[in-house]
Amino acid sequence: MSDSAGVESVQPLIEVRDLKKHFPILKGVFSRSAGTVYAVDGVSFHIDPGETLGLVGESGCGKSTVGRTLLKLLEPTSGQIIVRGEDITSLDPERMLPYRRQMQMIYQDPYASLNPRMSAGEIVGEPMVIHRAANADERRDRVAALFERVGLRPELMDHYPHEFSGGQRQRIGIARALALSPELVVGDEPVSALDVSIQAQIINLLMDLQDELKLSYLFVAHDLAVVEHLSHRVAVMYLGRIVELADKTDLFEMPLHPYTEALLSAVPIPKASARSRKRVILKGDVPSPINPPAGCHFHTRCLYATARCRAEAPQLREIVPGHLAACHLHDGGVKFPLEKPAAA
Amino acid sequence: MNQGVSQGTTAADAVTASGPAVLEVDDLRTHFFTQAGVIRAVDGVSYAVRAGETLGVVGESGCGKSVTALSVLGLVPAPPGRIVGGAIRFDGTNLLDLSEAEMEDIRGNEISMIFQEPMTSLNPLMTVGRQISEAIALHQGLSPRTATEKAIEMLRRVSIPEPERRVHAYPHQLSGGMRQRVMIAMALSCNPKVLIADEPTTALDVTIQAQILELMRELQDRFGTAIVLITHDMGVVAENADRVVVMYAGRKVEEASAKILFDRPGHPYTTGLLGSIPKLDVAAQRGGRRSRLDEIKGMVPSLHRLPQGCTFAPRCALATDQCRAEYPPLIEHRPGHAIACWRADTLLAGAA
Repeated sequence: MSDSAGVESVQPLIEVRDLKKHFPILKGVFSRSAGTVYAVDGVSFHIDPGETLGLVGESGCGKSTVGRTLLKLLEPTSGQIIVRGEDITSLDPERMLPYRRQMQMIYQDPYASLNPRMSAGEIVGEPMVIHRAANADERRDRVAALFERVGLRPELMDHYPHEFSGGQRQRIGIARALALSPELVVGDEPVSALDVSIQAQIINLLMDLQDELKLSYLFVAHDLAVVEHLSHRVAVMYLGRIVELADKTDLFEMPLHPYTEALLSAVPIPKASARSRKRVILKGDVPSPINPPAGCHFHTRCLYATARCRAEAPQLREIVPGHLAACHLHDGGVKFPLEKPAAA
Repeated sequence: MNQGVSQGTTAADAVTASGPAVLEVDDLRTHFFTQAGVIRAVDGVSYAVRAGETLGVVGESGCGKSVTALSVLGLVPAPPGRIVGGAIRFDGTNLLDLSEAEMEDIRGNEISMIFQEPMTSLNPLMTVGRQISEAIALHQGLSPRTATEKAIEMLRRVSIPEPERRVHAYPHQLSGGMRQRVMIAMALSCNPKVLIADEPTTALDVTIQAQILELMRELQDRFGTAIVLITHDMGVVAENADRVVVMYAGRKVEEASAKILFDRPGHPYTTGLLGSIPKLDVAAQRGGRRSRLDEIKGMVPSLHRLPQGCTFAPRCALATDQCRAEYPPLIEHRPGHAIACWRADTLLAGAA
């Protein structure tokens, strides 16, 4: 299934070009502008039909904002969102409606994202009401079918969210997202709040649904192992920008960005032999997206940074076919394993 | 702030866990008496940790791993909680026999704890310096000024940049990783013999998690602290613990050295847990093809209504009528490898 990079003739389901989302920081009674959060600062990618693009990064890197802006739950500051060739960036809410049906979201917290006053069946059926997609009888049948599809007994339709466990609630959230037969589902950390044994069940369910319904996923998460498992391609974000984007195997075997290298080496591996592996431990914290460092955003923590990195931001470009990275290290040709240039 | 490539820990491997246990939990039973009935949150759990050793305690939510730790520190809310049986021995003394005043001398002094959420466990109205020095002043009777100096020293020890300035900072002015460092500084300020870390890095990003775990290892190497590392993350355990206790529904189901546990697990629950975690290296080996994870079917039973027999039997593929009838005893199948499972021999033979 990793053939997505090779076949260029397929029209992407969705494409994002130079997407930016900046949040003004307002202060005082007159809401004067006191700065800007550069949450998403020029991000481009595409997702093919039936493909999962994983989006990883640490807190505050902008990965959730990308997911929300993509669905236009947040208005983009600039850039383009193109669905099957149609630019939907500036569509008004009414003309967005048909696109909304095709793009749904699964949220992280199965406790906070379900309305406690609605029964599970009403929650799953609500999108059909909003989009007038089915009458009451059809709706009940379809909700029952959705319940079965996500592994819940249809008898539970009349129960309320508090009567379900965390894993079951996440299944309700998934059933709701599937109610209008979308083509794209954005999952924002959909398994991070779950216990590991339940997490595996939900990951398997998401993969089964994708194969069966030919869904495309944008899978946003901080857990690299989970993202690797579910995705076909993976994009790594740092402070509002994509620093590396590649087929997941390439990304894992040949990380070309120093941040990806550090991220991969920081993930603890559940194996006895993992103790003795060589590890890159980054110093310091992620800088604030309000005042990101000049040049390459990562240079303050980078092992290989040179004077050029502090002054000039590297562009995300194809270093080897299908493998993009934003790093000056590779300007004279691919450098792997990564090493600091001899003359700085 | 020089950065470096560091070799994964080797010091912990060298610790062969000899010498007497500093902390020993013996057949501990902590129950909660609620209107809905008795919840056996901890039901006969035993473990021991020696100086310089890290004991990993793993399990999913509600398995009793945190309640065991709170019991050790005498912090179980009572009512509804009560320790109804067992002993907790620290340096030979049974902590359950001590008065609250005597416990106060031990808590935070001899045995310290780091909690998961640094933002809710630090006092937002006190500077971090005062919070650290409060413990030192209380337990070691230092003057305020020497206590502040000690606080600065502690902040330096946990690698907080500009400790002289940060000592006057409030928790909200620090990042998540720095707050967790402050928690560690507080916990270590009195040089405790035992450090209980309850999900110390769960709220942190992976690159920060790696920093904090490395810091804990360094401090352990220097001071010989015994660490009880409670976590749900099997990766964190594999890379940091010398021995591991696996808990399920209030009981210990398996105990082994980290090496044995990850190479040859003997309890179907442990096997299931390990199979259900996506693994980075495996994902790549499969050449990009995605595979299903081995899932453990069903969910953790409610502690209100535990099934008859082995509590894991309803989710276990190997379960027999005997498993559904009778809870299996914890048996040492190999030296240092204890398993509570009727089918352990089958499982171990299959793995061999």
